[in-house]
Amino acid sequence: MREGCVVEVGFSEPVARYLCPVTVAAVADRGRQGWVHRSTIDDINMNNRILLKRNINELLARSAEAREVYLPLEGPGGDVQFLPLQEPKELDNLNLNYDQLIIPPKNIGFPQLESLFEFKDGEINPTVPVPSRHILFGLRACDLKGILFVDDFFRKNFEDIYYRHRTEGRLTVVVGCTSPSPNCFCTSTSTGPFIEDGFDLQLVDLGERYLVEVGSENGERFIGEFEELFLDASKDEIHHSGEVKVTAAKAVTLKVDFKEAIRRLTEDDVPREIYEEIAERCIYCGGCLYVCPTCTCFNLFDDMKEGEGARFRNWDGCVFEGYTREASGYNPRRDKCSRAARRYEHKLKYDYQETGISGCVGCGRCLTSCPVNIGISNFIEQLTGLDSKQ
Amino acid sequence: MKNEYIPYPAIIESVREEGPETETFRIVFEDEGMMEGFGYQPGQFVQVSLLGVGEAPISIASSPHHRGFIELTIRGMGKLTRAINRLESGDKIYIRGPYGNIFPFEGVKGRDMYFIAGGIGLAPLKSMIDLVLARREEFGRVVLLYGARTPSGLCFKEEIKVWRELEGMEVRLIADIPEGGWTGRTGVVTELWEEAEPWRGGVAYICGPPTMMKCVVEKLIRTGFNKEDIYLTLERQMKCGIGKCGHCSIGGKFVCIDGPVFSAAGANIEKWGR
Amino acid sequence: MKGVVCLVGKFEGERSVSRILTTCIYCGCGCGLYLDADQGRIIGSYPSGNHPVSRGALCVKGWNSYEFVNKLDRLTKPLIRRNGRLEESGWEEALDLVSRRLLEIGDRTGPDSLAFLSSAKTTNEENYLMMKLARAVFRANNIDHCARLCHASTVVGLKAAFGSGAMTNSIEEFEDADCFLVTGSDTTAQHPLIGSRIINAVRDRSAALIVADPRNIELVKYADIHLRQKNGTDVAWINGMMNVIIEEGLHASRYIEERTEGFAKLREVVKDYTPGYVEVITGIPAYLLVASARIYARSEKAMIIYSMGITQHVTGVDNVKSLANLAMLTGHVGFRSTGVNPLRGQNNVQGACDMGALPKVFTGYQSVGDKEVREKFEAVWGVKDLPAVPGLTVTEIFDRARKGDVRGLYIIGENPALSDPDSNRVRVALQQLDFLVVQDIFLSETAEYADVVLPAAGFAEKDGTFTNTERRVQRIRKAIDPPGEARADWEIISGVAERCGYKGMRYSSPSEIMDEIAELTPIYGGMRYDRLEPFGLQWPCPSRDHPGTPYLHKGTFARGKGQFMPAVYIAPDELPDQEYSFLLSTGRVYWHWHTGTMTRRTSTLDREVPEAYVELHPRDAERMQVIGGEEVRVSSRRGNIEIRVKITEKVKEGSVFIPFHFKEAAANILTNPAVDPTAKIPEYKVCAVKIEKMIKCGKVV
Ligand SMILES: Cc1cc2nc3c(=O)[nH]c(=O)nc-3n(C[C@H](O)[C@H](O)[C@H](O)COP(=O)(O)OP(=O)(O)OC[C@H]3O[C@@H](n4cnc5c(N)ncnc54)[C@H](O)[C@@H]3O)c2cc1C
Ligand code: SF4
Ligand code: FES
Repeated sequence: MREGCVVEVGFSEPVARYLCPVTVAAVADRGRQGWVHRSTIDDINMNNRILLKRNINELLARSAEAREVYLPLEGPGGDVQFLPLQEPKELDNLNLNYDQLIIPPKNIGFPQLESLFEFKDGEINPTVPVPSRHILFGLRACDLKGILFVDDFFRKNFEDIYYRHRTEGRLTVVVGCTSPSPNCFCTSTSTGPFIEDGFDLQLVDLGERYLVEVGSENGERFIGEFEELFLDASKDEIHHSGEVKVTAAKAVTLKVDFKEAIRRLTEDDVPREIYEEIAERCIYCGGCLYVCPTCTCFNLFDDMKEGEGARFRNWDGCVFEGYTREASGYNPRRDKCSRAARRYEHKLKYDYQETGISGCVGCGRCLTSCPVNIGISNFIEQLTGLDSKQ
Repeated sequence: MKNEYIPYPAIIESVREEGPETETFRIVFEDEGMMEGFGYQPGQFVQVSLLGVGEAPISIASSPHHRGFIELTIRGMGKLTRAINRLESGDKIYIRGPYGNIFPFEGVKGRDMYFIAGGIGLAPLKSMIDLVLARREEFGRVVLLYGARTPSGLCFKEEIKVWRELEGMEVRLIADIPEGGWTGRTGVVTELWEEAEPWRGGVAYICGPPTMMKCVVEKLIRTGFNKEDIYLTLERQMKCGIGKCGHCSIGGKFVCIDGPVFSAAGANIEKWGR
Repeated sequence: MKGVVCLVGKFEGERSVSRILTTCIYCGCGCGLYLDADQGRIIGSYPSGNHPVSRGALCVKGWNSYEFVNKLDRLTKPLIRRNGRLEESGWEEALDLVSRRLLEIGDRTGPDSLAFLSSAKTTNEENYLMMKLARAVFRANNIDHCARLCHASTVVGLKAAFGSGAMTNSIEEFEDADCFLVTGSDTTAQHPLIGSRIINAVRDRSAALIVADPRNIELVKYADIHLRQKNGTDVAWINGMMNVIIEEGLHASRYIEERTEGFAKLREVVKDYTPGYVEVITGIPAYLLVASARIYARSEKAMIIYSMGITQHVTGVDNVKSLANLAMLTGHVGFRSTGVNPLRGQNNVQGACDMGALPKVFTGYQSVGDKEVREKFEAVWGVKDLPAVPGLTVTEIFDRARKGDVRGLYIIGENPALSDPDSNRVRVALQQLDFLVVQDIFLSETAEYADVVLPAAGFAEKDGTFTNTERRVQRIRKAIDPPGEARADWEIISGVAERCGYKGMRYSSPSEIMDEIAELTPIYGGMRYDRLEPFGLQWPCPSRDHPGTPYLHKGTFARGKGQFMPAVYIAPDELPDQEYSFLLSTGRVYWHWHTGTMTRRTSTLDREVPEAYVELHPRDAERMQVIGGEEVRVSSRRGNIEIRVKITEKVKEGSVFIPFHFKEAAANILTNPAVDPTAKIPEYKVCAVKIEKMIKCGKVV
């Protein structure tokens, strides 16, 4: 017996209309302050520089003296991980040609598990982390897009102080991707392999050297700190970097019709069978949401022993039945099909409607991490390969 | 910057039994300034915690024109709510909020007010009813249609007694399963609608179980209500209350910040009743 | 409140995130995962991208394996029972007491009045030490562990047929098999990363899938054929398949000739099991049986996958032998992607067996009855007179305890008060003991009966190795310190041995223990820590330069020739009757693990399935007038529980299913302790129960 498919409530008009002034004002004055570390592209000196590859280790080792430096480090069995540099020796394991990190760097601002506060004998003690200067070095373009998306999310409405403190003082250094994994489709989502803005620095691999694009004042200041390690870029080098970007884009072989997918979701033009098939095949591991650079859902729970304990939050998500089940036992997304639909609708429809940006950055992780090969790219391929209602 | 996740200690001043596993708690923040500054409107909810047990969204049942306390009516449905129901006056709980949007008030002045509730769903409406009654002359008819599965499941019996005595207030009750010498009507709340005639337009505020709300909305629309004049408060599993955790999402909206009050014009009734 | 509790995510200024590669603690798949540690707490778990099993993916349990480790109710100090209450004590006192009492009991009533339960959750090194403690220090062969309750039939049956009781293929090899015969394994729920490979094979490569299972499990959706046998009739349908294969001449004559013995006898026995006759016994339509036999026999790379639905019967060994017969008959064993694959349940149940935490064998299945073997162990251990008579099994240990023959029991990381059949009787046995030591990470239901409770380190807090279901010996690594004063099991066991006056158990690290294991165990001969990087080695690995063995019985069987061992059908011990009219089988659900000590402390998992339920067929529900969610009383001849009904077509009419994770409605109060005569495995999968409606007053729905 198949359960029916519930597609969620749509709003014909902005719900804001029904908000009373009291609440709107209350919302407005709660923590809508600026977001200091976010780079703005305007009026920034876009001088390009050159960084010789042989100088990279020195740059990183020296910047690690005053900051934490997160890097893609190759570990056991060739797994590449984004980890803080603890000692200079680890630079031997630096791998900037990795295809994909298993976990996107969103966990630096939003760890899988963190405590919100501790309590003892009724006394509450917040466990807000202390902001620290740190560099995310060797990010991929898609992952930076993901981070910027999550930044916006945690900032809006009620700003999340935990996320903010963990990400404040961040400097982002993108190393454009020239070694995509077969599951990547960033050219279809316009999120890579190189990006136009949003970074502090972006490196283009020119062989022996990197062309360094400066995307923000922060980036400029960072270069200023290590001036002697950077050279000026020549016209040829800048020209060369353009070629590298074109070649890199060509290396991304998986292509999907992203626009069409968004159109069809927005117009509710999705055959039910697609969701049914996904729902049937899904084994509910949650991998796709855990590895998604823009998934931010979490659960709250308490732990306590003898009056002493803490409240935690940990990663959670919409594929789980208990995620929406209410205490009465009623569950608006009880059937698997509506849960399967939720994720795709969220990424390809609602995010787009609410923010103008889709939550999918084309990294392909949901396919990589799926034990049964579902993945959003397969969904899009299947959807756009089928006849449209129109 | 405010840390929205931190709840504030408050003391239970008194407890009133409403029915099986349902109690109304009068609550005062430990910090006087905090209590003073605690401004809210009908429709909003707070996040109530017991440290070590958990946290849950609970509508504020009292009306903002009563200052110096808030009242919460809680039915024991799970781990936390049952634990709260075991508390007594003098015990400590933790509160943050208020959150969510509110029932339209200023804009509906002069119109007839219909309140339709099922079970514990009267709690959020009660806040609004109290406020409306406090400024009775500014409104038209005030009608409450209230149902529950069993007569004992009807909350706010004290208030209802008072309301029934009031001049400008019409109260009609119904129970699904008559028990314990129930002499009132038997059936579901939609069946009370005919009794509430004559209908001459107005605004409806609805809260109750999902299927009940769906039936009521359909009924009202058939009667001729504008969808824009029907307001519902929706329930969802909520964790953060501030639009972050994602649990309460409906489409691209969050019930905790874009709701819990929705207009039937905004909510696609066909789809959410399930 | 600084320094009171060190909790996750708190850091002043500097971050100290470290990521450690380790192995999942839950199922036998043995996925490679990373643990993130920060400030002495685990804050995340992620899959390894290149590990041959996980390959960038995990199941929901693996993804959430970080949470329980941190729980504040972890045991942090030794507890000693004083005046009926467990009270905190120091290690010195606790270890002294344990060694003194065990020695006393051994001296007074002989070594056989002591028993030891090792654990499939602890490492190989720790299982080895536990077995060494029992045998070398106390001269007792009464050592066993939960494998008795899951795959004892496999160890006995496959060992007899092939010479080795393990999965013959590797998990990777599922990716190019072209036929799967899955029986008695809810693979997607219990071995998710194997189940997913089957799904992918079927969906993406059109591999054939035959599921033989009384329940309508997930994999049935993908199956070409679903054989829905009556519970406990496995020998019959397997014989039936062989009957068809022989009748139609689909058997591998040359293979049988060259590589096996005993075929004539098999032919004789299965002759009677015509599809029509089998239909009568099993309820499987004859035409489906014939079709299955043809598909399986004709496939080039065919795998049999089975688990507890086959082993947990009084005919468990016969069931296993029959599957082995079927594989040999068609030449489907001894090749890549072709073989017989018992999926081992616990993360290290393979290892615990390999380490000889069994009453009859030392490490590597070397018999305690073999004088040469004993002498080898005596020499290395520096002891004399190791006992030659096999010891007691888990079920026998509790029987003897009840009779007062077993007086001292030392349990590591097991929860028999919830996990063993007819658990009421187990509890009686636990109460009857003179002395009970329980070593665990949480205060389990069993620990509540203990005289001494020793706090152990969890998988994130120690080094060691686990052996997964495909015989892959792989590392677990210490990511954080144990909470409070908890210690690694190997350290605790060494401490007990030391206090008993035995000097042969001083180790500086688990790696040193592994060296000793390698010296004594031919199949582990080449297993040294330096060689286990990054993702382990599969046994047999007899020497330092041996690359490990992805699939077994290549060219020749481990025992030389494969042995056909035909079995005849015998009915289950307890079948439904007038009074107890439903057939109960028990098992697990995807979201939980065994008695729930870990998963019920994991928010995401506990939320998904927060309470016990009994699966009931819609027609039965209608007949009995019960609705979904209603509480009913389920009783067997041994006890009763109150439990909510879940109406589903997953079960057959007349059958019910209860997961055994929940102490509030513990399924094992009901189960039948009748055991297989050779493997001594209890029949968890079949017993008779009745279901009664309950009317609870004053309950508002
Ligand atoms: C805006 C809003 C306002 C509310 N106002 C009120 C109010 O004024 N008064 C009031 O009493 N309630 C109110 N509620 C409902 C109240 O929040 C829930 O009853 C409460 O969250 C239950 O939490 P708990 O911790 O007690 O339950 P938990 O133990 O957390 O149980 C809740 C979770 O457990 C599971 N669960 C529990 N019971 C069952 C079951 N029978 N079947 C299946 N799963 C189950 C589900 O996963 C569920 O999400 C309101 C809810 C919202 C969203
Ligand atoms: S499949 Fe098994 S080993 Fe892998 S993550 Fe899940 S429980 Fe752990
Ligand atoms: S309750 Fe967390 S987003 Fe609404």
